[in-house]
Amino acid sequence: MDNVLKIAGTKKSFGKSLLYTLPMFLITFMFMTGGKPDFSDLSSALSILVAFLLVNVLYFLMHFTGKTDRYRVVLFIIFALTLSFTLIKNMIAVRNSMSFSQADILECKIPFCHLVIPMMILPAAFSKSIIFPGSILNGFANISSMLVLWGVATLVLGRGFCSWGCFYGGWDDGFSRMRKKPLLKNINVIWKWMPFAVLLMVALTAALSLVPTYCDWICPFKAVTEFEQVTSVESAAKAGVFFSLFAGLVVVLPAMTKKRTQCSFLCPMGAINTVSNKITPFTIKIDKNACTECFKCVEVCPMYALSKENIKEGKVSIFCSKCGKCVDACSKNAIHFGIKGIPAGTLKNFSRNLFLFVSFLFMAVFSAGSIISTLHSLLKIIF
Amino acid sequence: MKKIKIIAGITWAFLSLILIIVLFPGLTGFSASVSKLPFMKIHPRYAGGEVEKQIVTQSCTLDVRKPVFKGLISDRKTGFVQLDWRGTIPAEIRDTIDYDFDGNPDFYIQVDTKTSKTEMYPFNKKVKGLGISTSTSFGWAVRVSLIKRSNY
Repeated sequence: MDNVLKIAGTKKSFGKSLLYTLPMFLITFMFMTGGKPDFSDLSSALSILVAFLLVNVLYFLMHFTGKTDRYRVVLFIIFALTLSFTLIKNMIAVRNSMSFSQADILECKIPFCHLVIPMMILPAAFSKSIIFPGSILNGFANISSMLVLWGVATLVLGRGFCSWGCFYGGWDDGFSRMRKKPLLKNINVIWKWMPFAVLLMVALTAALSLVPTYCDWICPFKAVTEFEQVTSVESAAKAGVFFSLFAGLVVVLPAMTKKRTQCSFLCPMGAINTVSNKITPFTIKIDKNACTECFKCVEVCPMYALSKENIKEGKVSIFCSKCGKCVDACSKNAIHFGIKGIPAGTLKNFSRNLFLFVSFLFMAVFSAGSIISTLHSLLKIIF
Repeated sequence: MKKIKIIAGITWAFLSLILIIVLFPGLTGFSASVSKLPFMKIHPRYAGGEVEKQIVTQSCTLDVRKPVFKGLISDRKTGFVQLDWRGTIPAEIRDTIDYDFDGNPDFYIQVDTKTSKTEMYPFNKKVKGLGISTSTSFGWAVRVSLIKRSNY
């Protein structure tokens, strides 16, 4: 019976997997090389080659083994690490430190990230301006390009952005996999509504103070990107808050619970992406005919998106980030990637292939720049 | 109805595929279009306000910016005026500023650019105190805090 299910599952033959990888191979080649591979600089060529092989081997393995999350997380963690490395390296090269100064704020030189978006909305509507000291169009991580990237990704992937596009998510995803078994199991799932409260709070406080309050006071990822120079009691208090949140919600709690606690309990962007989960064409479906209600999927879900009630009803909650961990855990292929409108249990392979192509392509191209840059820097250090 | 739902779902999924494929090659163009949206301006609280007057001296130029009081909906009671010295900055900056150009000087500012020691002497109650004084890539910038009082 198990063999029959495996054949009917998402695994493919070597040749078929190669065939499915071919479009990714060609598109990532075009994006990474611009269609004109340059071999004049050996370390650049080598960095591009390694990044190119990495993404395509991972994508091939997703098709060949039928496992999604196992290979997604590799690129996801590498994305988070290399992005932080690239950012820190650039800041040290430009400013000689990870902290930004008052001059950087005055000259609007602060890199923009998607976490600012929730705080931009009300001031943009009422004062027709952006309350962030960044660049509108020019330079690294400018506001316009980040808005376009996030806008399209959230439209297409919904909360899938949190598992396939967010360059911070890899941190707590990585720490949540450090232990085989969780030390802490009984966390009240009501906390998963917390990001909505944080969203409301930061949107209102930012509108009233015209300061991106989440970035200013809360964002734990300042610990691995950039932060305000500690020059006063206030800036020291801010540093204390974000370092504590990073240690608690990104490192310790994920390691203890095997859940992505920062993404589930704090991130206001996650709340917005949860809403856009209603628009995206892709979803996770539960085939009630195949489900044996073993609840393995509930146990492994890192975002508190699945409950026993959800499984019994045959519907995943809006908190799902489509990471694929539940899909990998289901031996009966009862929980699967799907397309809205298509009934559960049908066109499983078609839906998975289409979703994987869209989501993996976004992550592969989005992460390519920082992976290549990091490899290039490391190769320069080694040779 | 079921068939329509299936066709709509698959169509939306394929449209998503196209969106992702064109996203990266078209990013520069899409970003340029987004940057032209009416709200795509940095709030003057960060950008410092428009340059209202340029005073050219021998070695550098002083940009006196428009005072910033802009709030979410209406003006706030407190704000600032930003002054930018561009070009070759002298070891000591000494300037008397009439930021509202009413013919009466509003404050006197003195900056030791080597030690960053900045002193500001207000001449009226509209000037609240010194905000920021820092070296920048273009020279030196100072923000002086203001109180909005129409009767002064």
